[in-house]
Amino acid sequence: MTFTGAIGTACYYPLRAIIDTCVRLRIHPNWLTVTGVVFNVVAAWLLGLARFRAAGFVMIVANIFDYIDGKVARELRMESPFGGFWDSVMDRFSDITLFIGLIYLYAKLGRVDFVIITALAMMFSVMTSYTRARAESLIEKCKVGFMERPERIVLFMIGAFTNRMAGVLWVILVLSIVTVADRIYFTWRELNHSPRVEEVLAERLARGA
Amino acid sequence: MKRLLTLPALVLWRAFFWTYERATWQYDLWVIAILAFVWLVPPAWLGDPMARGHGLVGWILERLR
Repeated sequence: MTFTGAIGTACYYPLRAIIDTCVRLRIHPNWLTVTGVVFNVVAAWLLGLARFRAAGFVMIVANIFDYIDGKVARELRMESPFGGFWDSVMDRFSDITLFIGLIYLYAKLGRVDFVIITALAMMFSVMTSYTRARAESLIEKCKVGFMERPERIVLFMIGAFTNRMAGVLWVILVLSIVTVADRIYFTWRELNHSPRVEEVLAERLARGA
Repeated sequence: MKRLLTLPALVLWRAFFWTYERATWQYDLWVIAILAFVWLVPPAWLGDPMARGHGLVGWILERLR
């Protein structure tokens, strides 16, 4: 088993208990989604006040709600197209809110450079979701690129808990740009039936050229 | 020579044109690289206005001086 797989398995057990509790209490999944957004707003506020560790704890709570809403909906047989839409829209609010908290903090500190880095990271994070949503209206699936929402959220938590937010923002920015580029290229390739670069390279390697 | 260039090109392409699932060894490698960057690079190199301390690389460089 990979180490990220082991971490995922370890985190699954407490989450399973929370999901079971929500199912037993028949909490509507849309309310879980909204609760997640509210906690993310609190986390953003704490980030803006430079209380990183407290923000990290609140982010954990917020993202438990974010994670379980879909699972609870499935188990309560309350899945609906609107629920999926609502979840995606609320996720964007949560994402943007955290970035705004940091932009406020850096603006307060007079650090224009980090205001710009954070704003760009926010822009490309939104573009990551948009490119996939738009691509999937044209092609069947566009699940390429590394920096998706779960990676971003975990990075935010790592940055908050270990007080290394600058490094985290650089990683989010660079890998979000790469992810957006991946999705644009993948969609272009699928729509134009162009040959795959990796297959061309692998074939060249196999030929010994 | 061409072959020598093709292999790194393929590795780089696969690393950046990401098509792997989570919890694969390729994913683990990226996670390790990202965590190394975040935790080891001295915050001063990135101009981090909030971080305290030098980070592991900064601490090692200081000891070597």
